[in-house]
Amino acid sequence: MRTKTRDITLCAMLVALSLALSLAERMIPLEAVIPLPGVKLGLANIVTMFALYELGGRYALAVLVCRCALASLFGGGFTALAFSLAGGLLALAAMALAKRAPFLSVYGVSLCGAACHNAGQILAAMALLRSVTVAAYLPFLLLVSVGTGLLTGFAASCTFRALAAVPRRERGDREC
Amino acid sequence: MTRLTFRRGDAVVIAAILAASIALTAAFVLSARRGAAASVEIRQNGEVLAVLPLDEDAEFTVGGAYTNVIEVRGGEVFFAESDCPGQDCVHSGAVSAAGRSLVCLPNRVEVRITADSPDENAVDGVAG
Repeated sequence: MRTKTRDITLCAMLVALSLALSLAERMIPLEAVIPLPGVKLGLANIVTMFALYELGGRYALAVLVCRCALASLFGGGFTALAFSLAGGLLALAAMALAKRAPFLSVYGVSLCGAACHNAGQILAAMALLRSVTVAAYLPFLLLVSVGTGLLTGFAASCTFRALAAVPRRERGDREC
Repeated sequence: MTRLTFRRGDAVVIAAILAASIALTAAFVLSARRGAAASVEIRQNGEVLAVLPLDEDAEFTVGGAYTNVIEVRGGEVFFAESDCPGQDCVHSGAVSAAGRSLVCLPNRVEVRITADSPDENAVDGVAG
């Protein structure tokens, strides 16, 4: 039986994990390979997806908001917070919808999330700069999002597969 | 219950993203005018701070949360210096064609090259 305490504890661990992933990601010089500033792998999105599938949308939202708030404390400040929240919230909404589509797997859900994350960031950039010209940057970001979306989809698929192999008892779903 | 293997629907999502990307690129390319570049427009928070001629070397400093030094030299414009944490604006390099722009997001600064008609739509770099 699941308890609320257990879910909240799991949430806290997921926040820590996604925070670690998003900080580790900053050390990967992906921009050296793809010369577009702001390009990221979106590793933390694996955790958001896990929360969405395992705990539901409301917990996934909590994990996302906590992660964005904490990550902005580690550098970036308000600008970084606005960007990651705009991208993250739009991505989560898209993934929650895509998850309901019976013809999509975790790959499709992840791809929707990656594309909408970039769209959200461009919207934030347009709002902050009060400029429409920034939108010209979106096509390149969308192209990159196909790659990063497939990558995080693959990682999520592997994670879910590995967890399905763990006996329920050891996953902590027993009565206590 | 959880669908873990790649499905045909996923391929449709990829195709849709690629199609959107191509359509957007086409829209921007078609709407961007390629006239002779006339001037450099420097904006902060959407407000025009300065309009400089592109064919005259100049230096312009923008204050705010951070300080950006924008330089016009030899028909090109670039962020020469910035004390923002990402430095993406400095790394974005120089632009010279009408419709191109450079951005320093932390400082909310946009540098845009405008042709005679001020309606241009291509972006060279966005800084985080």
